[in-house]
Amino acid sequence: MNWVGFGTLIKREVGRFFSVYRQTVLPGLITSALYIAIFGFTLEQRISEIQGIPYTLFILPGLIMMNTLTNATANTSSSMLQMKLLQQLPDLLTAPLSGLEISLAYIIGGTVRGMVNGILVLFLGMILIGMPVQDPLGTLVFIFLVSWAFSSMGLLLGQLSESWDQLAMMQNFFLTPLSFLGGIFYSITMLPDWAQTLSFINPIYYMINGIRHTILGVSDSDVIISYVMAIILTIAFTLSSILLMNSGRKIKQ
Amino acid sequence: MPSPAIEITGLTKSYDGTVHALNGVDIQIKRGEFFGLLGPNGAGKTTIINILTGLVFRDKGSTKVFGRDTVKDYRYTRSKIGIAAQEFSVDWFFPIEKLLYYQAGYYGIKKKDAAPKINDLLERLGLSKKRDARLRQLSGGMKRRFQLAKALVHDPEIIILDEPTAGVDVELRRDLWQYLKDLHKSGKTILLTTHYIEEAELLCENIAIIDEGKILKEGAPKTLTQELGTAGITINISDTNIELEQFLSNYKYTLDDNRLHFSVTDPDQALPKIIKSLSEAKVHINSINSSRSSLEDVFLGLTGKGINE
Repeated sequence: MNWVGFGTLIKREVGRFFSVYRQTVLPGLITSALYIAIFGFTLEQRISEIQGIPYTLFILPGLIMMNTLTNATANTSSSMLQMKLLQQLPDLLTAPLSGLEISLAYIIGGTVRGMVNGILVLFLGMILIGMPVQDPLGTLVFIFLVSWAFSSMGLLLGQLSESWDQLAMMQNFFLTPLSFLGGIFYSITMLPDWAQTLSFINPIYYMINGIRHTILGVSDSDVIISYVMAIILTIAFTLSSILLMNSGRKIKQ
Repeated sequence: MPSPAIEITGLTKSYDGTVHALNGVDIQIKRGEFFGLLGPNGAGKTTIINILTGLVFRDKGSTKVFGRDTVKDYRYTRSKIGIAAQEFSVDWFFPIEKLLYYQAGYYGIKKKDAAPKINDLLERLGLSKKRDARLRQLSGGMKRRFQLAKALVHDPEIIILDEPTAGVDVELRRDLWQYLKDLHKSGKTILLTTHYIEEAELLCENIAIIDEGKILKEGAPKTLTQELGTAGITINISDTNIELEQFLSNYKYTLDDNRLHFSVTDPDQALPKIIKSLSEAKVHINSINSSRSSLEDVFLGLTGKGINE
């Protein structure tokens, strides 16, 4: 194991997004604040409590999850694609670093960004509307697992994409709809039966309900299933991204 | 006997199964040698380099660095190589000094250990005033020097330079040549790809001429020009009525008015003999012109086309 090389790449990946924090950290915080202000405060007067929870509070765990997973995905996918398109990747591929080291360093970089963004929205909720957190450790575990899983998925997307257009397509047509349909703004009990059934095959549904359970103590799905799903996703995406990196597909000829 | 710095045997590579980039390449580069790969664009030079450094998968054959396989022992072989790629990389995020620290880190060198080398490289390559600049703020020549600094930051034993002076002005090219000579004197093995004939002749101890994925000829530049190049000697004589045939029967020559034109492989050796023969024939010589053969002539003779075609 090339520990110094591995550590250097992690530092580079974390340093990269912090150097443009206005683009990678602040927007999620501002967007979440806007969601709370617009969706929460205005709709709360018209929507009765969901599962005994005021509407603004109900949507906050979903906002934390959405912010976490979109940032984790964006970090690895954009960094990898940028390195490919701007001829930076050969610097890594010609260095004495293994595919495992490169993959894990990227994933850790994305995980840090996902966690920073998720935790900031968590604090925002606690400060703005006094959100109680019933199980802080469980909340952090969920934010960590989701960050890791989606950071790995982002790495897969970044390696497979050949243009910004392709990457944007995967995010806009796949990730964003799944996030919105995962129950950020509603309980799936409010949906017709067929839509409820569809939600069960959406992995993000389990992530949102998992963190909602750790924060508010309510959820549509069993929290154990949410944990299991988060762990399965984490392992599956991690292994896939390492295997893809080792195969050299789309990055070597 | 120590294993060669680079040993390539029977190397083949095709892209998409149709474009045959390499068709059985054999190259051996001794430790401490300055070796040039000379060929036109698309000849296979960059593919060889990319296979050695792990950017391209080889189809068949073996590639070894200091006797160790570049695929199985990639950590060892890559740590021995520093590569200055032809294409510039672009990084928007970090100043160039930081990029050099990152590059050293990838090779397992901690920041405090890398500092003296990085300071030295920035100074030597005239980049110390630009250490806080981003890559986009550098001129083309500075970017080229940064590429070299990046290749040298982990003090590799083998330096691979892919068209290191492509697109740089004459002054910088001379500076870079001098620096490469200094590196070679310090014991580094250097593999240079170029399509500048002058560069190969000036710097390389040995060269391989490559075209369409095959090594056509290998040897010292001077040997190759002597063996394969054709030089010309033109002698103006005053009297054309003398029977020259019996004195010049060993040479290929033409007589045009009073101009005798000889085609020889080595003008340094041939000229004194020709003069002696003409003296024996009692021919009065008015003037002598000779044109040395160059690698360009060799390349032309081997491939039937110019190197920039």
